[in-house]
Amino acid sequence: MSMTAAATQRAISPGAERPQIAFSNVTLHLGGKAIVENISLDVRPGEFLCIIGASGCGKTTALRLAAGLYQPTSGAVTFDGKPMLMPRRDIAIVFQDYGKALLPWRTAAGNVSLALEASGMASSERAVRIDELLKTVGLPAHAGKYPAEMSGGMQQRLQIARCLAQEPKALLMDEPFGALDAMTRQGLQDEVLSLVQASDATVVFVTHDLEEAIYLGDRVVGLLPHPGRIGIELKIDLPRPRDQLTTRENPEFLRLRRELFDFIKASEA
Amino acid sequence: MNRSLLYWRAASFAVAAGFVGLWQLIADQQLVSPVFLPGPDRAWASLVRGFASGDLWVKLQGTLAHMAYGWLVASITGIALGAMIGSSRTMRSYVAPSLEFLRPLPVSAIIPVAIAMFGLTQGMALFVIAFGAIWPMLLATIHGFAAVEPRLYEVARSLHMSRLAVIFKIALPSASPDILSGMRLSLTVALILSVVCEILAGLDGLGHWVLLSARAFRSADLFAGVILLGVIGYLTALAMSMVEKRFLRWRSSGH
Amino acid sequence: MIPERVKALLLPVATLAILEIWARAIHLESDSLAPPSAIAIALAEALRDGSVLAATRDTLISAFAGLLIGGAIGLAFGIGLGIFHVADRLMEVTIEAIRPIPSIALLPIALIALGFGYRMEIVIVGFACIWPVLILSRAAVGGIEPRLIEVSRALRLSAADRIRKIIIPAALPRIFLAFRLAAGIALIVAVTVEIAINPIGLGAAIMTAQQALRPDLMLAYLFWIGFVGYLLNTGLVVAQHHLFGPAALVRDSA
Repeated sequence: MSMTAAATQRAISPGAERPQIAFSNVTLHLGGKAIVENISLDVRPGEFLCIIGASGCGKTTALRLAAGLYQPTSGAVTFDGKPMLMPRRDIAIVFQDYGKALLPWRTAAGNVSLALEASGMASSERAVRIDELLKTVGLPAHAGKYPAEMSGGMQQRLQIARCLAQEPKALLMDEPFGALDAMTRQGLQDEVLSLVQASDATVVFVTHDLEEAIYLGDRVVGLLPHPGRIGIELKIDLPRPRDQLTTRENPEFLRLRRELFDFIKASEA
Repeated sequence: MNRSLLYWRAASFAVAAGFVGLWQLIADQQLVSPVFLPGPDRAWASLVRGFASGDLWVKLQGTLAHMAYGWLVASITGIALGAMIGSSRTMRSYVAPSLEFLRPLPVSAIIPVAIAMFGLTQGMALFVIAFGAIWPMLLATIHGFAAVEPRLYEVARSLHMSRLAVIFKIALPSASPDILSGMRLSLTVALILSVVCEILAGLDGLGHWVLLSARAFRSADLFAGVILLGVIGYLTALAMSMVEKRFLRWRSSGH
Repeated sequence: MIPERVKALLLPVATLAILEIWARAIHLESDSLAPPSAIAIALAEALRDGSVLAATRDTLISAFAGLLIGGAIGLAFGIGLGIFHVADRLMEVTIEAIRPIPSIALLPIALIALGFGYRMEIVIVGFACIWPVLILSRAAVGGIEPRLIEVSRALRLSAADRIRKIIIPAALPRIFLAFRLAAGIALIVAVTVEIAINPIGLGAAIMTAQQALRPDLMLAYLFWIGFVGYLLNTGLVVAQHHLFGPAALVRDSA
């Protein structure tokens, strides 16, 4: 199901559940310019929402508004009904520049520990939990390594492990695989899907890769640039679990891809 | 250490020994008057004598004590102030330009002011050494705290880390390479100012020893003192290198 | 939004104002402090009667002479060690042994050998300037793009030509930086020698002012010394920008 740019201003999913993340007519002005304007968006609990759009359309800004790192100029961002005035401990943010988001002076275990220390966990419990989390992201053998000794893919997995240590209700991911090569990216896509399935977390995933958005998401929202506004919303009815080969060859996948591609082309014009 | 590195090091020592031999030759031939240039044998003899009688040991301790007190005060104050100023952009914009103006100031110029305030005393020396040693620490710490990766602050916000936790777990470790290099410079400054103050105020220390030896034309004692000062400089640099290696292991790995 | 310039001046102006008011309020009479207005007057007078400028000239002569001599020695050795790696490795222990000796420790030696005056100060400043120039020019030569060396071999340049036409121009920006840092050191060491013992220049002038119990003049000299240091440093930074442009500003911290 899709709606064209002209027709939609609000991307609310059907169903009576209260949204977990809600944008109500959110506008943000920075440096005198409107970055995003009148965004209204509901994200259901446990939903995997992908946000795509041409460069400069404000998708990262939208994510940072959801994270509480920015405050809207007008309108409101709420989480579980409460306004997002500042970041929440139970909302984890996975940044694109993983190198800058990890502590270079701590080992992998130390980096994961940071999140556990912040939540006040006793040190004896921490060791066990760190081990579990590193196993979850496939890094148990690298617990003693420093980020500089790890590849890009490993560092991003480490960041994800640290985010999972926050026991997040929601995961906000800002083009997390943008800096990685294609093979690593695909491996991590599947890892994220299985992690999310196991933890029931809501995910808002920003990406410029249209196929990635369709592959991962339950729903894809496309933003128009200058200022950022919602231009398209697509429900992804592809079967789960997703598979890199069969899903991407599915005719519905290809149709959705075409639709998003046309949207981006039109929005850049 | 692998083989070839060992060989080069040994060869380098041999070259240095050669220079010492050359020095001995010049001294023996009296190409330069022994009043000014004692041979390494006489300098060594004076070192042994000085330590045996305990004199040099006392002087050495004097200089080290001056350095240590001044450097300690400077480090604590410098890091604390630097952390405060460096972590606040507002404070930096007001304070940094004045500090840039003061940076090239020869710190020894504060000595007459210190003498006016404290007279030719230990207190004067401590003031001067601390004042001189603070600058490299302060400037390096400010730089280190100002350069903390902003992304890490966002991570800290997301984790709801307390202010104290942010300072000790994020800002301080991030600034530690700069702080350590500031400490290294501070030690050098502390040594130089110790010597100058000892010369000026006649305080117990190697600076004073060297001055007295010069006045009495005891060149062997003079050189012994200079050599000891060089040894202090060398050992403090070595100590700092070891500390840096221990604390900054994460920097060298991987790159 | 307060403009950056104003912010920069706020702290010093406010400090001076507070000191002035406080000094006047308590009718300050001290051997070590003086109100800023008295300091300014003392400075103006000393400038007018030429004593400040004479002292500045003396200090700068010693500093520059020492910089040139020490810098030349350091440069020659630095380039030599940078080119001939064998020599560099052999000289390692010797350099590591002599380098940590604080230049000020040589003061008594220079004193008995040369007595008071310019020569002794120039020798000590020279010694201090050798090391930064040596270390940095050695690194500058070592860091030259290997491609350029290959070009010089392909063109069959003589050793002298290679040094003159390829190595020195390529290493020049960092060599200039080395001299800039050494210039700062030269000034500091010169003033320090004068304060410690040498009866010439700005260091001697400030000590004399203190001994004459003239805090206003003493603090005026303190300001002036800082001012000269600031001018020297800024002038060299500007020169570096003009000569080599921002692209060549490598490792700009002293």
